[in-house]
Amino acid sequence: MAMLLEPRQNFTRLRRRGSGGHLVGRLGTIALLAILAAVTNLSAAEIPIDDGSDHWAFVAPERAALPPVGASGSGHPIDRFLDAKLAAAGLEPVAAADRATLLRRVTLDLTGLPPTRDDLRAFLADTAPDAYDRLVDRLLDSPAYGERWGRHWMDVWRYADWHGRRHVPDVWNSAPQVFRWRDWIIASLNADTGYDEMVRSMLAADELHPGDRDAGVATGYLVRNWYALNPNDWMRSTVEHVGKAFLGLTTNCAHCHDHKFDPFTQEDYFRLRAFFEPMGLRQDRLPGEADPGPFQPYDYSVLRRIERRGTVMVYDRAADAPTWFYTDGDERNRDLARGPVPPGVPAFLAHGRQPPIEPISLPPPAFNPILDERVAAAFRADALAAIEVANRALEEVHPLGDGVGLARKTAAAAALGRATAALVSLDARLAAERLRYGSAPPDQVVAAAEAATAAERRAAEQAALEALLVAEGGLATARAKPETDAARQAEVAAAAAAIEKAQGAVEATRGAAMRPADGAYTRIATAYPATSTGRRAALARWITDRANPLAARVAVNHVWMRHFHEPLLSSVFDFGRAGAAPSHPQLLDWLAVELMENGWRMKPLHRLIVTSAAYRRASAEPAPAGGAEPGGAAPAGKDPENRLLRRMNVGRMEAEVVRDAILHLAGTLDRTIGGMELENAVALTTFRRSLYYSCQPEEDGRSPFAAVFDCADAGDCYRRSRTILPQQGLALANSELVHAASAKVAADLRAGLPAAQHDDRSAFVAAAFEHLLGRAPQAEEMAACLDWLGEEGRGPVGHPEPVEPEARRAGLVRVLFNHNDFVAIR
Amino acid sequence: MPKSADGRRLTRRGLLAAGPRAGLGLGFGALALESLLGDGQPALAARAGTRAKSVIWVFLSGGYSHVETFDPKPALNAHAGKSYDKTPFDNPVNSPLHRKRFRSVPAEEINVRDVYPIIYPMQVGFAPRGRSGIEISDWWPQLAGIVDELCFVRNMWTTDNDHAAENQIHTGRHRLDEPQPSLGAWASYGLGALNEDLPRYVVLGGPTRSDTRQSIDSLYLGPQHAGVPLALDPVDPLPFGRRQAAQSARQQRDEFDLVGRLGAIAAAEHPHDAELRARIRGYELAYRMQAAVPEAVGFGDETEATRRLYGLDVEATKLAGERLLTARRLVERGVRFVQVFPSPYGVWDSHQKLKENHTRLCATIDLPISGLIRDLKARGLFDETLVVFCTEFGRTPGLEQRSGGVDGRDHHPNGFTIWLAGAGVKRGHVHGATDELGYNALGDGHYVTDLHATVLHLLGLDGRKLEVPGRRRLEIDHGEPIADILA
Repeated sequence: MAMLLEPRQNFTRLRRRGSGGHLVGRLGTIALLAILAAVTNLSAAEIPIDDGSDHWAFVAPERAALPPVGASGSGHPIDRFLDAKLAAAGLEPVAAADRATLLRRVTLDLTGLPPTRDDLRAFLADTAPDAYDRLVDRLLDSPAYGERWGRHWMDVWRYADWHGRRHVPDVWNSAPQVFRWRDWIIASLNADTGYDEMVRSMLAADELHPGDRDAGVATGYLVRNWYALNPNDWMRSTVEHVGKAFLGLTTNCAHCHDHKFDPFTQEDYFRLRAFFEPMGLRQDRLPGEADPGPFQPYDYSVLRRIERRGTVMVYDRAADAPTWFYTDGDERNRDLARGPVPPGVPAFLAHGRQPPIEPISLPPPAFNPILDERVAAAFRADALAAIEVANRALEEVHPLGDGVGLARKTAAAAALGRATAALVSLDARLAAERLRYGSAPPDQVVAAAEAATAAERRAAEQAALEALLVAEGGLATARAKPETDAARQAEVAAAAAAIEKAQGAVEATRGAAMRPADGAYTRIATAYPATSTGRRAALARWITDRANPLAARVAVNHVWMRHFHEPLLSSVFDFGRAGAAPSHPQLLDWLAVELMENGWRMKPLHRLIVTSAAYRRASAEPAPAGGAEPGGAAPAGKDPENRLLRRMNVGRMEAEVVRDAILHLAGTLDRTIGGMELENAVALTTFRRSLYYSCQPEEDGRSPFAAVFDCADAGDCYRRSRTILPQQGLALANSELVHAASAKVAADLRAGLPAAQHDDRSAFVAAAFEHLLGRAPQAEEMAACLDWLGEEGRGPVGHPEPVEPEARRAGLVRVLFNHNDFVAIR
Repeated sequence: MPKSADGRRLTRRGLLAAGPRAGLGLGFGALALESLLGDGQPALAARAGTRAKSVIWVFLSGGYSHVETFDPKPALNAHAGKSYDKTPFDNPVNSPLHRKRFRSVPAEEINVRDVYPIIYPMQVGFAPRGRSGIEISDWWPQLAGIVDELCFVRNMWTTDNDHAAENQIHTGRHRLDEPQPSLGAWASYGLGALNEDLPRYVVLGGPTRSDTRQSIDSLYLGPQHAGVPLALDPVDPLPFGRRQAAQSARQQRDEFDLVGRLGAIAAAEHPHDAELRARIRGYELAYRMQAAVPEAVGFGDETEATRRLYGLDVEATKLAGERLLTARRLVERGVRFVQVFPSPYGVWDSHQKLKENHTRLCATIDLPISGLIRDLKARGLFDETLVVFCTEFGRTPGLEQRSGGVDGRDHHPNGFTIWLAGAGVKRGHVHGATDELGYNALGDGHYVTDLHATVLHLLGLDGRKLEVPGRRRLEIDHGEPIADILA
């Protein structure tokens, strides 16, 4: 039995708690523990709990000492770690990439757009030693950086526009205003906001930045998971993806049973859920926009509006919402006898110290948006505009001699009265709202509330009066019709009835206005609880704490994967025991610590990575030495997958980049940043960057073009797939997008050549290669293209179907869009 | 077969055999390469002796009534108008099976689906047909003539009591569980292509709505395994499958030629770039696909007799007939999995006027589906093609009384009937049963993934071996082949 204790992992797996018992039944566990206790002379209580401390990723990262400078001769920390591994494997790094290749690589990497021919020539002409560093700085400072890396993080954070039943249309998932979260991501990245701060805001901006609506949209991360029909589903998605995105933990496994590999129990699962249990959604007015009204809750019999105005964000709706433990992944199987599960982080990571959860008192404008001066001003502006409209109408109505004209004038005057009374009512209620949460003496508060009630009643009376005068105008109009009009009698009767009804309303409102004011006025905007539980803030702080072993490693791995096309640890959402082993654990940890100690800022991390010698290496194996081994492969059998990065990996443009690059090279890309998402139906005929088109899991949630190039799966996209499909060839050969761009590029390139070279086919071919592939053509390529163009630019001699040179040039450009090295990033 | 840089054969089977950790290290690109450099080799060689090469999966959206199609229940007529608890039988709603097989997507506090207990009689007669004497309803006069070719499974069940069950029968997962790739995607992933010029997994008539995308999606298997919806328009059947009007065929050929020539130069420059080679091959395939797909969806070479066999000459049967004839043409040309939606979204959903609705709808399907079976037999394709005929759930034995309803049935996930025909399944056979009232599938019955396992088994695959590193599936995702129906 002593064997059972070695290695430790076997032991710890047996010592798993919980009721699931997939590995060992409950009784079996107890029996085994008894045996273990017997053979090890430990009492059951002394058997150590599985705290995961045997697994590297569950222990906080520390910086290892930098290895000595290695074969690449670079003192850069990344190179020292990589060189050490290469040397241990008996491998030499390959030489640096040529400057043209490097320019295209780093420009696509940091901005998602390729360099143009002009960019290429400018960079090649800049021979200063710091030319590359300045290029990197310029690219990181470009707003396109936020769009490029924003799309990457949208993958990880599962960005999805509204969906549910789009064909109806009906909104069951996410929210129509969630695009503001996407814009927040872009802006935050461009401002180099720390990753920790971004994560905290996405989980708890309402608690950490209360009243700041610009920050509040960050909770779009949580809004995106909302599911109208079933709040359990909202919770389930949230727990799963908070685990995978921020912690690299497959928490979803514990929805039904204790995790089979990691010490994450089903109890831990529900404790994690409890952080989110109080959540609800609220909709707030934005200054400068019309009032969207309150968030439309789900009602089985009512469609939900596609509301674009205002923000949707998370708040703690019900502090006492219980989290029930349930079995088999079916929320109907609640274990009520257990009682509600309290919030808590996974026990094996807490080490007995759960993060403290303190309720947060929100400032009044946070829980009662009308107390935000800008929001109040927006409501006042509405009221003033209504007065202006009424004023103008009154001026325009002339009380002509007949009864109809007079009635209209009177009604217009009443409308002005109504609008004015509405402003008075608004101001009185505003005053009452302000006193309500201030430090004013209670009697003043009561007096203001009563004044607000009175003003509101007067406004109601004015509105009723207006309605009465309008009805009277209706009667006058009906009566003014000739006696012979067949409809006259019915209209007169209807108008009389309307007057009677309006009179009733006037009397009722007048009566109400006479009664003593009770202070129960109508709130202008929805008011929410003044206290938030502080649960999500506590979780967010714990995740982004320096001591958290997972958050920074997971983030760094995601960043690394997008620079090098392969991650350091391939199971990017699973850092647990069932996940992969990192290729360079010390480098991963060093970078994780570097990120954290540098304020979690990502631009310095990008800069660090792209200035390494490893990033700047050629992606091709070196030319054969002596030609003995064609192609000069890596020394036989060593690191065939290039895990040790002796060379750079070849990348492939993501779906968004393919489209954006085509438009950018054609000079037709619309660089407007942000705003409401566009429909994919117009993705090939409009020119915004691809991340602004609808992204959601339904049929229209991707454009047909993007779909064949592995665009994001809005449901789960921690890592893009990278396929080669015949349909990709069809899309590049036949799409309207490519045809329009080819013609435009061909014309632009020709126009850009010196006049003497307008019909110089070699100059055109060279320019086309430089513009589309970011490099000059080789002699063989030049020959093939010249042959193809033919002497006259109409095809080879004897071509059965001569074409216009203009069309042939466009054809050549299209061929280069279809070249492997267009979508490949070398 | 492609080789990795150290000369090992790079196969998916090899990746899987090497275990999750080894597979993860290779990255996604390697998987993609294999499919294109495979020269038509099946990705995972089918089990020896396998007869099914292709599947035609016919899905009727909305939920046809099992008790008015393929599962006669005389007790419904005998006890019509009574509530379940007034019959001599155990009240099926009290069975623990009811709760297990009846799960709402809306949370209980939002909406609880009513269970209607008043027995509604069968709206159509049944009679024994063929030599086998299998009873099917009078709404299937053509199918009655070939019933000896069919194999019925009368004890299917699912769990979603609303129409996300359409996704469930294709993916094996309830709406509230994490999504999984569709069955067609797994078949594509497991089998590879017989004909590289056509997509492996084709969808006709679907996805029926934006939110049924999941029924054809491949998710983490990658887009090369997603169902490719084809329009039945030989001029423009496939996205980007048509040359731009301003470009002549010759011009386009020239361009593809130059792409190939430049590709060859690049390949010489980068002899170890397998992805580059795959892309060159992909472009060649693109050019061929551009011709092959319109050819496959056009009926130019079909005889009048064949057209009549599928009912193309009659308005009521034309839509289903065209889709099913196209399905036959596609499997004939080596498409692995054709998912056909012969009726529009949800039309079988008969909460009211069930008799009128089913009478009309059966008449749109009966002739074309029978024509398909006859045609496959005549062409010798029946022995290598598996036809599956199914819906998302059955309909309640009780009368739906919502909004004063008097002539319809509600959704019923607890028991329903499907049939299979062709390669590897028994002919003229009935498997399983529901209880006397047609309420619960008896015994363990068959959850939808048993059907998936059966289909994969008949294709020579073991669903349990179709795992992707890092994407472990659950026991329920695999199911068990329905042994009793295998020939």
